[in-house]
Amino acid sequence: MIKKSFIPKLDDLLGGGIPEGVSVIFCAYPGVNSEAFGYQMLNGRLEEGDNGFVFTNIAEPDTITYEFNSYGWDLETMLEEEQVFFVDGSSHFIGAPPNGRYIIEDYSQIEEAVIKAIRDVPNGIGLINNLSTLIDYLGNEDTLNIIKKWNEIAKEKKTTLVYIFTEWDYDKNFIDEIKNSVDCVVHLKTIEERVIIGQGFMVAGASWTKPSDIMVLFFVMQPGGVKVYIPKILVTGPYNAGKSSFVKAISTKSVSVDRQALGTIPTTIAMDIGHLDYKGFFADIFGTPGQERFDLILNVLSKEAVGAFVLVDSTAPETFGRAKEMIRKCRAEAIPKIIIANKQDIPGALAPEKIREMMKLGKDIPIVPAIATEKKGTTEALDVLLTLLYGD
Amino acid sequence: MLPVIGSGIPGFDKLVSNEKTGIGGIPENTSTLIYGPPKTGKSIFCYQFMYHGLSNEEPCLYIMTDYGIKQFQQKIADYGWDLGSSIENQMFYIIDALSSVSGTEVVETATCVSSSVHNPTDIMVKLGVGTRFMSGMSPRFRSVIDSLTTLLAFNEDMLVVRVLTAFIMRIKEAGGTAVITYTEGSADTKIETMLKASVDNIIRLDGEQLVVEAMVGCGKRNAPYIITDKGIIIKE
Amino acid sequence: MVSKNMIEYDSTSPVKSDMNNCVESGIPGFDKFISDDENGIGGIPENTSTLIYGPPKTGKSVFCYQFMYHGLSKNEPCLYLTTDYGIKQLQQRMMDFEWYLQGYMQDQMVYIIDALSSLSGTKMTDTSIYKPSSVQNPTDIMVKLGVGTIFVYRKSPKFRSIFDSLKILLAFNPDMLVVRILKAYIKRIKEAGGTAIIAHTEGTADIEIEEVIKKTADNVLRLDGELIKIERMPGIRKNEAQYQITDGGLIVL
Repeated sequence: MIKKSFIPKLDDLLGGGIPEGVSVIFCAYPGVNSEAFGYQMLNGRLEEGDNGFVFTNIAEPDTITYEFNSYGWDLETMLEEEQVFFVDGSSHFIGAPPNGRYIIEDYSQIEEAVIKAIRDVPNGIGLINNLSTLIDYLGNEDTLNIIKKWNEIAKEKKTTLVYIFTEWDYDKNFIDEIKNSVDCVVHLKTIEERVIIGQGFMVAGASWTKPSDIMVLFFVMQPGGVKVYIPKILVTGPYNAGKSSFVKAISTKSVSVDRQALGTIPTTIAMDIGHLDYKGFFADIFGTPGQERFDLILNVLSKEAVGAFVLVDSTAPETFGRAKEMIRKCRAEAIPKIIIANKQDIPGALAPEKIREMMKLGKDIPIVPAIATEKKGTTEALDVLLTLLYGD
Repeated sequence: MLPVIGSGIPGFDKLVSNEKTGIGGIPENTSTLIYGPPKTGKSIFCYQFMYHGLSNEEPCLYIMTDYGIKQFQQKIADYGWDLGSSIENQMFYIIDALSSVSGTEVVETATCVSSSVHNPTDIMVKLGVGTRFMSGMSPRFRSVIDSLTTLLAFNEDMLVVRVLTAFIMRIKEAGGTAVITYTEGSADTKIETMLKASVDNIIRLDGEQLVVEAMVGCGKRNAPYIITDKGIIIKE
Repeated sequence: MVSKNMIEYDSTSPVKSDMNNCVESGIPGFDKFISDDENGIGGIPENTSTLIYGPPKTGKSVFCYQFMYHGLSKNEPCLYLTTDYGIKQLQQRMMDFEWYLQGYMQDQMVYIIDALSSLSGTKMTDTSIYKPSSVQNPTDIMVKLGVGTIFVYRKSPKFRSIFDSLKILLAFNPDMLVVRILKAYIKRIKEAGGTAIIAHTEGTADIEIEEVIKKTADNVLRLDGELIKIERMPGIRKNEAQYQITDGGLIVL
């Protein structure tokens, strides 16, 4: 029987859902809210009527119940009805009153206690929060053995086992071994440009299906839980660089708002808005006005964006200074950016590397040649964007 | 200006007084570790600290792990101090963590509860109730743990450090001022360092000298002391 | 992620530092004390991590407060991870030196992750610049640190960051995990361009762990109550000086 994961989009990536008795690990880069994933899965299953348990070594049960509450999920009632229970591996260690069906007073008791807990919830779900804290108490070898044993018993009992794991600087081989010990690995990654500007999840492997390699951007709401995030992508650049055509070229649908000023060259005074749906990556596209007097809009938008295309007219080096200034504005807000060397079809267009040289751009900033009006170079631009966002 | 409360130990407040203002005492809403070899007057320091507070209408939450309530009352009586009215007025809240272990029965009241040195968790639960009681009585109160030594003997060292951290947090959040005793050498150096690092003020008693090793708003100080039938007295 | 290469290469970088690439400590005498002889101007090298360690009660926290407060007065925001004191005690202790945090909190110049207050049993409510966490839950601390770095970075790409201290984390977690947290912390702050100070009480971890902790930071300073010692600071020779803790904070003599 296939169970739902209750994480939006995750079931789609996993070929419909999670078979019974499998183990799932959420491997989070430090800084990603991984606990929300475990809590949300557990809550979803409990609401479906399944039984479950939470092993905690990071907070007393009361605190976790309170966390659930802040997500808008009522763990308390389900605890009272004994639909769910705790394996309390926290309270004793900080002198708080233990509160759970099984109480850990020594790390050597964890293995047995969790085995009992798994057996208590056949066809249900168990959450292990947090695997990382376990590792440094028990050692790598013992932790691996325990995980394998737990997973075996979970398979037998058809219990879903969910691990929360923060990928601190463990040995690479060890991390691989951990991942090889479970049926399904979900990576929780960050999109970074100096700071974390976005978070995404991606299925790295599942024993029952070939998962699609899409990264789903998400954010966590309290209350609400894990929600899919439709990020904003900026299209910016100096006046007359071809932003509107570019927005049109990469969007499934697009619209220009407040197009009013019609001079010898029509220009956008508010913005072009489009929607991107490329290889499973969804985003809202915002084309900003190029003139300086609209820089305020650029500031506001770049605070919310996860990436930016900066268009330059390859035939107009006199506008490069302005382009550079716009890059700086995006840089200040720390978003990954790609330079689009547009109008490559016009005689006298400078080659991308020439533009890099003239603009004194670091080699980490990608420059993609394009002809926006003919939709040439736009697919390449989108691929580069995904590479930047997804990382390796 | 740093608010301070009277220690109740003759000469001590002067010893730690501010050079400019001449005002001295134990900084309010802080935690103080009293440590040193056995039998150097650490408990007596606590009695005086507690008693002085009670005489100034400051309630006291007292966790005793080295002696039960009966021995405690006997010791206090030896110094000629009377806790009768304070107990009656519910100004004195006792958590007796030893009697249950030594097989002595504790007559529990609203302000005198029994716990066990074997069970820091239970001590913490009762501390929670006690702290609420104290802060309901007065926004300013005193609290004593005498001592950590027994807790260290019966529990994992690091657990005691964690419990102490939680104790200090609770007392401070509720507006209290805490004094904690510890017999030097009863835990390894790492734990001893942890204990010292966990408190605001450190006082060492060696039987002859009282050394203020650290105190908020006051540098290092020291002076000789004697233990009399009126308690500790700092000599000029 | 930005490679170092790009920062150097790209002249548009807004992380334009002072001429000397140093951050003023705010501690009288200190910047001069660590100044390298060639340039003549001192301070803590910008965008580095500095470990301040020493026995208990030697002024490590005071150093942190002073460093933060000086930055605030120069409009440099601060990301403060406190594990030794709750927010109330932190403010109170700073007030003892007549450093007032409240105004800067109102101006959102300081972002505080308080991992200790939850231990008091009261549930703290978070605000835009105050996030309660737990010393037992490093994963949660890192999540809040992630959000905090964005917050301060957007205030100013030149910001300060304090981690005071490792001690309580060591009491609540396996030692190795604390080292991992420290590494992740330093990486996060340095990537964002911040300058980090980490306080550690000498003797609260096993010797091997203390060695690892010292290796993790770029700069290492030791305070022993009388002397402040540069144990490691690239480009600066080893040196020591006397210091005092006064009503106005630390002073290097």
